Amino acid sequence: MQAALFYIFAALALVCGFLVVANPFSRNPVTSAMCLVLTLVWLAGLFVLLEAFFLGAVQILIYAGAVMVLFLFVIMLLDLRAEERRRLKRLGLVGGGLVAAALAVLLRGVIHEAAPAAAAPPAVEGTTEALGRLLFTRYLLPFEAVSVLLLVAMVGVVLLSKKELK
Amino acid sequence: MNNAAYIQLFKLAGPEMLIALAALAVLLVDLTLMRGAPVRARRVIAVLLTGVGGFAAALYLLQVPLRAVSWGGLWAVDPLTQLVKLGLVGLAVLTAVLSLEADYTDHVGEHFALLLLATVGLMVMAGAADLVLVFLGLELTGLSLYPLVALNKAGPRATEAALKYFFFGALAAAVTLFGFSFLYGLSGTTNLAGIAAALRGRGFDPLLALAVVFSLVGFGFKVAAVPFHLWAPDAYQGAPTPVAAFIASGSKLAGFFLLGRFVALALPESGDAGRAALFTPGWVPAVAVLALASMVLGNLAALAQRDLKRLLAYSAIAHAGYLLLAVLALNGAANRPAALAALVYYAGTYALAGLGAFAVAGHVERHAGAAALNHLTGLGRRAPWLAAGLAVFLLSLAGLPPLAGFPAKFYVFAAALNTPHAGAVSLGLVVVALLLSPVGFYYYLRVLKLAFVTESEKRPAGPDAPGNSPQGGENRFGVETAVALLAAAGVLGLGLFPQWLLGPLQAAVREAGG
Repeated sequence: MQAALFYIFAALALVCGFLVVANPFSRNPVTSAMCLVLTLVWLAGLFVLLEAFFLGAVQILIYAGAVMVLFLFVIMLLDLRAEERRRLKRLGLVGGGLVAAALAVLLRGVIHEAAPAAAAPPAVEGTTEALGRLLFTRYLLPFEAVSVLLLVAMVGVVLLSKKELK
Repeated sequence: MNNAAYIQLFKLAGPEMLIALAALAVLLVDLTLMRGAPVRARRVIAVLLTGVGGFAAALYLLQVPLRAVSWGGLWAVDPLTQLVKLGLVGLAVLTAVLSLEADYTDHVGEHFALLLLATVGLMVMAGAADLVLVFLGLELTGLSLYPLVALNKAGPRATEAALKYFFFGALAAAVTLFGFSFLYGLSGTTNLAGIAAALRGRGFDPLLALAVVFSLVGFGFKVAAVPFHLWAPDAYQGAPTPVAAFIASGSKLAGFFLLGRFVALALPESGDAGRAALFTPGWVPAVAVLALASMVLGNLAALAQRDLKRLLAYSAIAHAGYLLLAVLALNGAANRPAALAALVYYAGTYALAGLGAFAVAGHVERHAGAAALNHLTGLGRRAPWLAAGLAVFLLSLAGLPPLAGFPAKFYVFAAALNTPHAGAVSLGLVVVALLLSPVGFYYYLRVLKLAFVTESEKRPAGPDAPGNSPQGGENRFGVETAVALLAAAGVLGLGLFPQWLLGPLQAAVREAGG
């Protein structure tokens, strides 16, 4: 069951990741960004399979949520038409291919060295419960300081964007 | 277990909580009860609430005896931090009183709430004993001050000033965080004392040097030391004057206290004699370069200024250089208590004089439209009390004997000369500082000459400048005059009797264990 889910998530992540950079149907950057969201969601699924539940949740909340909103924001501010007209450059293709090949060689070496089969799965550190316990006991003061920081950010944004009445 | 943590929080971070509560109260009252009231009344209420919050926090700081408690190594509460926090709260309340005349904005609640929250940030900076809280304090202060600088939306320079402040601040924060991550990677802990313990005895290490230099960037930005000073003149000039006063006073005091503690706690002192020892900790040469550049550039650039606020900005940069000398003197373990006391004394008296000078600048700006130097002509006749205050502040900044600037400089130089193993460097820097003193005298006295000697034959242009009409009320005893007189009294008193502040400081440093 776990193995099946792993293959499903991994395959979907790979497909979506490919669609981010080379989408045969659309050259729209927004579509690429949406594919990136899907990739991050499938990666979160992989984290959950590894029993890193907190990391999975954070992956969706922060990367697929907050960071992607920023990405989309920036994309919308750019000129999309110019991006759609742009043709692929040979130099870019060759350079990208070289980097991908180098990365593959490196990864192969690392995986070869790691030889994971024998070792037992290590206990997962940083479970949600332990994190929460730490946040509300030992790190309560920084936690509260962060909440004040968020308040400051909100008040500041409202202050700066409000229309002056005078 | 959970309740215990919260009780601990209320006990150890009580003053910070009180100030934060005051900020919420200001916001709530201004946006609900005072809705539709005249702006002037809203400002008065906000100042009153700020005063009550500050008073409560000060009482807490004075009354609740906490002797060298630390919360899991994250948060230090000892007499020294309490004293610095008391100073910060006092500066915040004075700034709030100055803001009573803040007629450039209608957002009264947000203005005072952000001021109070910035104070919380400064207090977090003062008490932090862990990289996490150090960074949070720096960011909390920065994020509260950026919108405050942009408060005067109609002003021609406010937006530029705020953007420059923000971009420099964001970049400095990023680099500092990078440095902190290296420090954590090298030592395996975020606790300042733990970092020092893990790094002690380590030889020269390029990664450690990189980590230290990167970490210093954020502090250098906060205290406006030279390579990171570019925001300061524009921010001081473009920001509303009370905000500029707070950046020049509170932010400087907390920034230097934090830098001093960071250097003293987290970076190991150079142990052995010899030239190599000087370079072992890595931070000594970096701080020495910052100090030299700040002193030279700040003093020389101040000569060319035509605007009082810009001049004060460059003078602040020069003073950052002098203060970095005290930071440098923290290098020797034996010398450390004296150097720390000198550092806090200098930063505290500088903050008082800077705040007062900005109060005068605010008065001039409100009556003449800008704080250009030639608007000062005849101030001695028009507003004698303010002009007298200005004389006290500027002469104290220059370091004239009966005022607080003199013992401050004296103790800092003495501490720098007593630094072991760094004789040549410290001696050279002190000589440079002494050589630059006449330069400082020149530009401070130039301002005073304009205010007292030069006759204003040609009145400042503009028919609607209120200073021109005889009943314009410039001589009226305003809040700026009150704040300036209070600060002048403080500067004079601390200059005549430096032991009033230095005595408690030295006792507190001893009790805090250096």
